[in-house]
Amino acid sequence: MMKNRDNRLTLLLLIPVILVLIAYVLYPSLRTFFESLQKDGSITFGNYQDFFTQASKTNLEALWNSVYISLLSVLASALIGIPLAFVFNRYDFPGRSFFSTAAIMPIVLPSLVGVMAFMFLYGETGLVPNAIKDLFGLEKVPFKIGGISGILVVHAYTMYVYFYMTVSSAIHKIDPSLEEAAYNLGASKSKVFWKVTFPLLTPAIVAASLLVFMISMASFSAPFLLAGGFRVLSLQIYFSKINGDMEIAATQSVILSIVSISFLLFMRWYQNRKDYRMASKGIGAHRSEVKNPFIKWTMVMIGMVGVIILLLPHFTILLLSLVPDGTWTWQTYPTIFNFENYRLLFEDPNILKPLKNSLLLSVIATAGNLVFGVLTSYLLVKRKFVGKSLVDILVMIPWALPATVIGMNLVFAFNEPSIFTFGNILVGTFWILPLAYFIRHIPLIVRSTNAVLEQLDDSIEEASRSLGAKWFYTFRKVILPIIMPGVLSGTLLAFVESVGEFPTSVLLYTISNRPISIEIMNQLRMANMGQAAAYGMIQIVIIAVVLFISNKFFGVKAEQSLS
Amino acid sequence: MKTKKKVSVVTALTLSAALLLSACNSESSSSKPEEKEGKLEEKIVIYSPHGKDILSKFEQQFEQKYNIDVEWLDMGSQEVLDRVRSEKNNPQADVWWGAPSTSFDQAKDEGLLKPYEPKYAAALDEGFHDPDWHWSGTSQTPEVIMYNSKKVTKEEAPKDWDELLDPKWKDKIIIRYPLASGTMRTIFSAMIYRDFKNSNEPAKGYEWLEKLDANTKEYSANPEMMYSKVAKGEGVLSVWAMPDVVMLKENKNYPFEFIIPESGTPVLTEGIAVVKDAPHPKAAEAFYEFVNTPEAAKILAEEFYRIPTRNDVKDLPKWITDTEIKSMDIDWQVFQKESDKWMQHWDENIKSGDKEIKE
Repeated sequence: MMKNRDNRLTLLLLIPVILVLIAYVLYPSLRTFFESLQKDGSITFGNYQDFFTQASKTNLEALWNSVYISLLSVLASALIGIPLAFVFNRYDFPGRSFFSTAAIMPIVLPSLVGVMAFMFLYGETGLVPNAIKDLFGLEKVPFKIGGISGILVVHAYTMYVYFYMTVSSAIHKIDPSLEEAAYNLGASKSKVFWKVTFPLLTPAIVAASLLVFMISMASFSAPFLLAGGFRVLSLQIYFSKINGDMEIAATQSVILSIVSISFLLFMRWYQNRKDYRMASKGIGAHRSEVKNPFIKWTMVMIGMVGVIILLLPHFTILLLSLVPDGTWTWQTYPTIFNFENYRLLFEDPNILKPLKNSLLLSVIATAGNLVFGVLTSYLLVKRKFVGKSLVDILVMIPWALPATVIGMNLVFAFNEPSIFTFGNILVGTFWILPLAYFIRHIPLIVRSTNAVLEQLDDSIEEASRSLGAKWFYTFRKVILPIIMPGVLSGTLLAFVESVGEFPTSVLLYTISNRPISIEIMNQLRMANMGQAAAYGMIQIVIIAVVLFISNKFFGVKAEQSLS
Repeated sequence: MKTKKKVSVVTALTLSAALLLSACNSESSSSKPEEKEGKLEEKIVIYSPHGKDILSKFEQQFEQKYNIDVEWLDMGSQEVLDRVRSEKNNPQADVWWGAPSTSFDQAKDEGLLKPYEPKYAAALDEGFHDPDWHWSGTSQTPEVIMYNSKKVTKEEAPKDWDELLDPKWKDKIIIRYPLASGTMRTIFSAMIYRDFKNSNEPAKGYEWLEKLDANTKEYSANPEMMYSKVAKGEGVLSVWAMPDVVMLKENKNYPFEFIIPESGTPVLTEGIAVVKDAPHPKAAEAFYEFVNTPEAAKILAEEFYRIPTRNDVKDLPKWITDTEIKSMDIDWQVFQKESDKWMQHWDENIKSGDKEIKE
């Protein structure tokens, strides 16, 4: 009897979750797949054949480039992120906590202007190479970025955070007694590192690598601005769509998805293969204070330089926003600074519209994510039902799907009336964008909620139920309050990412929901660099304020859900 | 602590609910087309690549005259086509203002446009409008060779297309990546077409483009990058649309000058069209008329450097009357039919793959 009621409840909760997943994750993907099978009015695999056998191999080249850039990005981000995680979690020196907070600055950089900032900083005519040139009286600029190197630098800058956060949290969980035992048994420092510490960190490193790989496969903004003629798959999809070759765009989307989803499955397999969790909990890493004053101050110096490098792109945007348009065209350095760009922006009666749109879209999408994420996560962690791993995979798919593909899927699925939209056409309406943001961030919130729910003892819920509380009451009064901090950190990150979202926005925006990132793109198109940067600053400020308030007043750290 | 949290959740919810409500309101109030005879709808939506400056100006004037709300989306012409295409089943736009005539021809073939013959039809010469009036021309855009006037003197600058191939310009040319740009597609196609019109073979043109590719330092991903790189001297030459070059020089203080190739240059007709099944057809027609009155054409010429298509505009600025433009004789039908193929060939076989990575 009791059991039956429980099963009924599970079913009742499961139905909406499955409906949403089928309607907005599975159906659009399948719709794209069917589109890719269309060729000249018949159903064939012809498009796929073309993809692989095309004489000029452009598609293969794009696929290869995507993989190649992603591998390099993983390497570069690992080389920055892992040592940083070690330094900040193992050693204590003046300013450590400030530096470690600054290390997450890249997540506050809005994608489009951020990439522009890199060009203004490190491009051939950029500030840094030219400053070095002029300072040392060199003939030519010592270095410059552009094309592939530009994409790589931007990727390393934005993606090392994933390594940093994942590895940091793994280091925290390592039981120091293991290493101490090894030392006591006479192992050398390097031996302890390679035989004890490193193996304990491998799962985190592998997880971060796969994550960064998937993200850079999907990366859109950096190639969009920097690639020139260099082909990557995510950009090819966009170009195919712009050219009107919808079937080719669909084929490219499917192939990119297959690559990413296989990585996702591989990652899940790897994570489930071995349990590396520590038996003892709550020990916490201890940081050794650096005693040697020389090393100590060197570390502080390096930390300072690192922070400056991390903040340079933000400062560049600020700088650009203060330079009136038309006064920094051929000059190497800007000479005039004022608030002209901000004045122009705020004089425009339409200025607030993109701003309001961005906030509104993000609030709607994130609110949906919150409700859906908590419910789904609760089902996945605390309830038993058949087909759980299938639901789990469906939930994770949007994570593997590149944003461009999610955008394409929605275009294919909802530019005609369907039962999932109650017979409406969604493409071209306001609601398509919140839906896109919602889909993109499903995995993020489910994952961060899973993490806290897994630590929640089942007996708490049982106690409440056995005292006669209804399920909903228990959920609301007992479970939710306990898991809220973890849930909110994921929610916050989803919100922050929605505010800066570009790749799906560019495919789906309409006049009624044009967000800030699109406004920035249009300003760039009209050569209004300064006003684009001013918009970028507004975006940075919004994100920073949200993060600051939540951290200060609610003690929620959004960056925690990155790991 | 707990109560605080509760408060915050409640505020967040009320806030989002309030925002949601306001969103619903604005939508419902704006999506009621009026059906009355002869009266304009209360709103009009325009898709256009003309940019904020032009669009804001005409938005104000139009709103003043007709007292209806003008909304516009500003994006590249190829993107407008894509958007109108993906919204085919649920059109959002009323008017598509600005794009090369070839884009409009393509849209016409796909059944995306609604024919409309404006009142000023007589003032448009043959070739400045679609035979069935699916679109009509609003301005002419000659393509030009643009150079950095700080680095290159007028005498040194190339006078004709073929001079761009001179080895002395090796690694001095920066070109906007042509696949996503209507302007660049036109220029490249024109280079192929020069020989194609007689021989019916694109081979000679491909050869020409290969030589240009050899001199090209970089293909920049967007126009802004190209402007910035030419202005700062990473390269000194480019090819681009004349109104843009003049606008950058006059309004944005870029060190740019241009040369109209002696042997003739493709002159695009930029047009305007009513979108099929437009939600506000009456307002669309009013706007269509409004932006191509002689007064409007004059504003566009004087303030935004656009050469009018109407033959009855008086007192044009000096730079138009003084510039002699030799227009290349082009069959735009052939252009539209072939250019996708040509561009694909260029992209896959001519563009040297390592160009943009070359340090």
